[in-house]
Amino acid sequence: MSQTITIDPVTRLEGHGKISIYLDDQGNVENANFHVTQVRGFEKFSEGRPFYEMPSLMARICGICPVSHLIASAKACEAIMSVRIPHTAAQLRRMLNLAQTVQSHALSFFYLSSPDLLLGMESDPATRHLFGVVGAKPELGRAGVSLRRFGQHIIELLGNKRIHPGWVVPGGVTEPLAAAKRDEILGMIPEAYNNIKLALNWYKQIAEKFEPEIEVFANFASLYMGLINEDESVEFTDGALRLIDAKGGIVADGITANQFSEVIGEAVEPYSYTKFAYYKPLGYPEGSYRVGPLARLNIAQSMGTPLADIELKQFKQLALGPVQSSFHYHYARLIDILYGIEKIEQILNDPQILDTHVRATAGVNRLEGAGQAEAPRGTLHHHYKVDDNGLITWANLVIATGQNNNAMNRGVLQAAQHYIKDGKFTEGILNRVEAVVRTFDPCLSCSTHAAGQMPLAISLISAQGELVDQVIR
Amino acid sequence: MVNTKTARCLILACGNTLREDDGIGPFLASWAEQHFAHLDGLRVLSTHQWTPELSAEIASAETVLFIDCSVAIPPGTINIAPVPVAEDLPRLMTHHLDAASLLALAREYYSTTPREAMLFVLGAASLELREGFSDAMKAAIPKAQRALEASVLNLLGEPVQRR
Repeated sequence: MSQTITIDPVTRLEGHGKISIYLDDQGNVENANFHVTQVRGFEKFSEGRPFYEMPSLMARICGICPVSHLIASAKACEAIMSVRIPHTAAQLRRMLNLAQTVQSHALSFFYLSSPDLLLGMESDPATRHLFGVVGAKPELGRAGVSLRRFGQHIIELLGNKRIHPGWVVPGGVTEPLAAAKRDEILGMIPEAYNNIKLALNWYKQIAEKFEPEIEVFANFASLYMGLINEDESVEFTDGALRLIDAKGGIVADGITANQFSEVIGEAVEPYSYTKFAYYKPLGYPEGSYRVGPLARLNIAQSMGTPLADIELKQFKQLALGPVQSSFHYHYARLIDILYGIEKIEQILNDPQILDTHVRATAGVNRLEGAGQAEAPRGTLHHHYKVDDNGLITWANLVIATGQNNNAMNRGVLQAAQHYIKDGKFTEGILNRVEAVVRTFDPCLSCSTHAAGQMPLAISLISAQGELVDQVIR
Repeated sequence: MVNTKTARCLILACGNTLREDDGIGPFLASWAEQHFAHLDGLRVLSTHQWTPELSAEIASAETVLFIDCSVAIPPGTINIAPVPVAEDLPRLMTHHLDAASLLALAREYYSTTPREAMLFVLGAASLELREGFSDAMKAAIPKAQRALEASVLNLLGEPVQRR
């Protein structure tokens, strides 16, 4: 008799999700779905609001990466205003976005994934969490806490709030950087370097123990997409999008925010509230792609900062072409953090960083505008239409988690088919299936624009549709 | 108030201003920040949830006053009590912690805790999705501000004015 395994809720994620694994009559995995089970509808209720309110409204989608929403939204508004923001404002926003990336990646790597990496996929779930890390390797846990605080404190210094700062507005930012704040951030940089170096050194020592997981954690050919500068270095806030194929060939390049909807489509599946983004010329699902740390590093030829460039060279030695296994998101995430710290230091030493001209002003000059930025989890796109009075008539958001949605589902299926045989599975096996999703660090609140708590669940369902087993955290 | 220097007193408030009485923590924190602006060494942080990285803030403070609300006590009542360090760390709560667990985390990571930690709790009548406070909470605010003032001055070692 065929069966279905349900993991419900999937734990250590940002949001609320569920995994269903469908077994055939022999007890082998026939199919698997990663469901995102919440919905909120920010695009709909923003209709009728003045466009200049959008950054603050959209930032409320998420408590982890509100800064990316602020920036993508502000850029969409600036397209409506037809303004170019001052250099200093662009640099300050870039620093804010990188600070958020550091704190969000610290949460993903240290809080959510390091328990598996340090204690083992099969370790006792009673201690397989951040506080288990405290006991087993306190310096690692302390490094994670400190890096998260580093990013959050910069956000607080710049935006006056750790979460949902209102400092980013259409046209730039509301106030310039004070010298005292610049000096305070510079004073935090050395400790941040020490912490990320500790984490990188530790990760590189333990990664080879996970060769079996690397082989089956969403390890397949796909397209990759991310922002990139003209010199082919990594970019988080400006630049344009590049899409590459599984061999590293450029599929599309220089995709601006205005061109995004011409090349990227969104499909819908009945089992999830999160949409499935795809490259239109290849159709769905063939045009599915991955975004986020792994994609960014696969696309870029350099990081543009010295220490991260050394790490990028090592990262690229993992494969002849693009690195395929999503397990390597972990390593890429740490390199992103290192890059973020270096870039923040560079920005603070920009001679114009204390300039007081940080905002451009204008009214409605176009009735449509789009903006894009790299959120910690990948590319984020906001697209708005307004009437003559600047009131929103239509909005669409394409979120990183939606762009990774097909790869996450394929990855869950790949791992489930590898580990579950004859209908037999253990808690450690189900944890590995969850861990595949964790490598992508999906933000389910973002992807459905939904409010929710973080748990997730796995269901085992028979060929007759009966629920045979379920794990609920 | 933003600095990384050791605080004489850290006020750590928790709550969501969009969930009616749950917003009392941020409200009182904001009030305290303005009310005690003339005093040195006070750091005020207000967050939706208490998360593990706040253990670093706690470890660098001489004293800490946690502010929260609760539906487990009668609406409008005020409970102020010392917070013991939790004996065990929690299991899965990587997104939010209670005051005792945060103290335990500070001890585990930084080998230090504030010499005094107090939990200031107000009874909540409603946590519905709206801004503002219930009638019971509104009526309790003046008393809560006086009690908060006394608590903070005590933790700072400043003279408390009798009213």
